[in-house]
Amino acid sequence: MLKGMLLSYIITFVYAMLFNAPKHTIFYAGAVGMSGWIIYKMLPAYGAELTLASFAAGTFISLTSQILSIKMKVPSTNFSIAGIIPLVPGSTAYKSMLAFINTDYVGGITLGVMTMMYAGAIAAGLILGVSIFSLWKGIVARHVRKGAKAN
Amino acid sequence: MDVRDATDMESNNYVMETCLLAGEIMIKNGAETYRVEETMNRMAYAAGMKSVHSFVTPTSIIFSFKDHGEVDRTRMVRLGERTINLNKVTMVNEVSRHFVADKISLTEAHDKLVEISSQKFQYPDWLLNVAAGLGSGSFAVLIGGTFLDFIPSAIAGAIVFASSNYLYRLLPITFFAEFAASFLGGMFTLIASWVFPAHLQLGVMIIGAMIPLFPGVALTNSVRDLMAGDLMAGVARGVEAGLSALAVAVAAAIVLSL
Repeated sequence: MLKGMLLSYIITFVYAMLFNAPKHTIFYAGAVGMSGWIIYKMLPAYGAELTLASFAAGTFISLTSQILSIKMKVPSTNFSIAGIIPLVPGSTAYKSMLAFINTDYVGGITLGVMTMMYAGAIAAGLILGVSIFSLWKGIVARHVRKGAKAN
Repeated sequence: MDVRDATDMESNNYVMETCLLAGEIMIKNGAETYRVEETMNRMAYAAGMKSVHSFVTPTSIIFSFKDHGEVDRTRMVRLGERTINLNKVTMVNEVSRHFVADKISLTEAHDKLVEISSQKFQYPDWLLNVAAGLGSGSFAVLIGGTFLDFIPSAIAGAIVFASSNYLYRLLPITFFAEFAASFLGGMFTLIASWVFPAHLQLGVMIIGAMIPLFPGVALTNSVRDLMAGDLMAGVARGVEAGLSALAVAVAAAIVLSL
């Protein structure tokens, strides 16, 4: 687990670098990716499906990125794009490819659909995060005239 | 040029130029569509223009407003190659925020945008290649590889990243560059697994090596665009992400069937 945390931090950190995020944000991006990965790993241990875990992690990443984006006054994509990299369903995609090559088309399609489910769950989580946040922002803006503007 | 001594027409043109420059930098460097449209609109309104409309897709910007003399002005720009440089997006965001809050003048904003658009990456190329390698190696270990898998997959990841950039400069077709790059990286891992069959797992190494080409930005932005109601841009980016994934998948399939 500790190894995984370190690795996911490194992955998110270097991808924030590759996307040339501003220098003061990449350390935070690493933390966002790491905490997303922790959720992604913890939930299946409590009996959740991998799809649900991806969804929850995506939501979490999206929410934390938006909060950080307001705190630091930078676009939220600085954190969220690199943050989802550790969740990429690479191994399912790979197994699907392998099944197609071994002419196991049914298995390949099954695994391919699973890959799309996982990727779709991450995307849906991102959407949910954005929606929750715009809802919250709307409520805040109604009460306070100068609401969150930076994201 | 200073707006205050310019004639009215010139200042209108100047507003148009500045807004378009801001939009162009943002969309070319991986900003979401709604952010680009909002930035351009806010800047134009702050400059005193009326009925401002913008339409942004990943390949073009259409921008129109009614100027001080009630004349409709519309410009359309076609956008060439896109990269990902979130630093530029952040900086343009900042410039536009300052301009809208009246902290800087239009001239200053324009000068800053010109400066931003000519800026290079913050990190040297070798560092980016090393970073890509580190990311690939870490991913391979994260999905169940051992630390022995780390080294070949890190090298393969660096190969994929460096060669995709190099090949794109050679022949600017994204699909070709990504396909060839992931093929090269895949071949490297395949050869490594032939040489040390007892210690290395081909699967995790290939997955790790392909990770630099994962279309994360296209996917994330596609989702956000669709949610914001920019259907055209969202679908376009979704297709972009799908094409990247296809290029990588085909290359991986060829490598695996060897």
